[in-house]
Amino acid sequence: MNKLYQKKHQLWLSITFASFAIDNEEIKSKLYDFSLISFRHMKWISSNILSSSESYNYDRNMILYKQEDTFAIINALKKEILDIQKYYGDDTLSDRIKTDEKYLLDYIDTILKDDSNNQKITAFNMKRKYPNKELSQEQIDALTIFLFDESYKEYELILVYAYMQARTTSTLQFDVFQDLIDESHFHLKSFGNMMAKLGILALPRELHELTYVVTDLEKFIVDGIAEEEAAKIMCKELSDAIKDEELSKFFDFINFQENYHIELMKKLLK
Amino acid sequence: MFENVKMPEGMNPEILEHLMSPKNYGKLEDYNCVGVAMDDKTGEYVIVYSRLNNDIIEDVSYATNGCQDTVVIGSMFTQMIKNNDLEYANGAIQKMHEKLGDLSPQQKICADIVFSAFIASMKNFENLSNGEDEEMHLFKMKDSCESTGKSNE
Repeated sequence: MNKLYQKKHQLWLSITFASFAIDNEEIKSKLYDFSLISFRHMKWISSNILSSSESYNYDRNMILYKQEDTFAIINALKKEILDIQKYYGDDTLSDRIKTDEKYLLDYIDTILKDDSNNQKITAFNMKRKYPNKELSQEQIDALTIFLFDESYKEYELILVYAYMQARTTSTLQFDVFQDLIDESHFHLKSFGNMMAKLGILALPRELHELTYVVTDLEKFIVDGIAEEEAAKIMCKELSDAIKDEELSKFFDFINFQENYHIELMKKLLK
Repeated sequence: MFENVKMPEGMNPEILEHLMSPKNYGKLEDYNCVGVAMDDKTGEYVIVYSRLNNDIIEDVSYATNGCQDTVVIGSMFTQMIKNNDLEYANGAIQKMHEKLGDLSPQQKICADIVFSAFIASMKNFENLSNGEDEEMHLFKMKDSCESTGKSNE
């Protein structure tokens, strides 16, 4: 079962990062919808694993290839979806997942039938030029570091909260973890798309079990609140440094969201 | 290798490549010693897996929940010492320390936590060789990122 979970985890990331890498807004949006569906698959699979008194982990064995065009990304995704089918069983959940992925494969084939969809991919070109923005090298460097730090952190938070959510018996904790997971999905999406615009799209680092196996929830939450507060400072500093109205407004918006994350986390301490 | 290390200011393509694709990252399948360096104040850690054969570091990898400075230094350091002997690795740490004068206090702490994790893995090897039953060796860091005003995020 852990092998299926690992494959599903990788597929979720592949769909998510395909969405980030592709410029076409319609394809990007549709793939992102599938990415969230795939994440729910992960959640349901993890629940089945735990119900069977088995365990799973967040180990991965994947590389985000720096593809040159949309069709290369889409074809790689198609291959991965076809490959995972052999890991599904004959149960109700497997049937649901297979039906979802059959629909995704049909959508992929629709994309591949239209050559005009095959655009050049700039998400990996490392040029670090933000489209339609005049940012200094110093501002670009600050933005680069911020995006690498925060995209990793959001990925980490999604998985750590999901790990704890799968194991809690408290409704309050379950709800708070779900809110925090949803918020982090939005942040990861925002930062991932910005990284793609800068040409520095990269997978977040793999999580080590020292990160996600939480033995002291209170300490984890206290540390997490400190990190949220630090993230607020980073957002504010970046917003001040960027000196671009649109980007500054965005980082202020993220900064204010962190305030509520702190309130949500405090609920976990009660 | 570290002549051009300046982070995050003046980021060069080599640093960017380490950020996008950290080298030697993750668990090592076939290791024979493990070390962890932990910053209790921030919860930041670096774990280093090494495979030693006599004095040769045949393979080495690392993982961390730390900041990007830690990631880049871990990537460069493990690349530097892989397939070299312990004497070379100790020299590499010394050489890195000499270069750290160009880095901020926070970046020095990031470097130290990487080196400490590697040294902890060597200590684990020594303890195992002496017959001790030790899953991994842990060093607690004296200096913390927290005190420099920069977070792990």
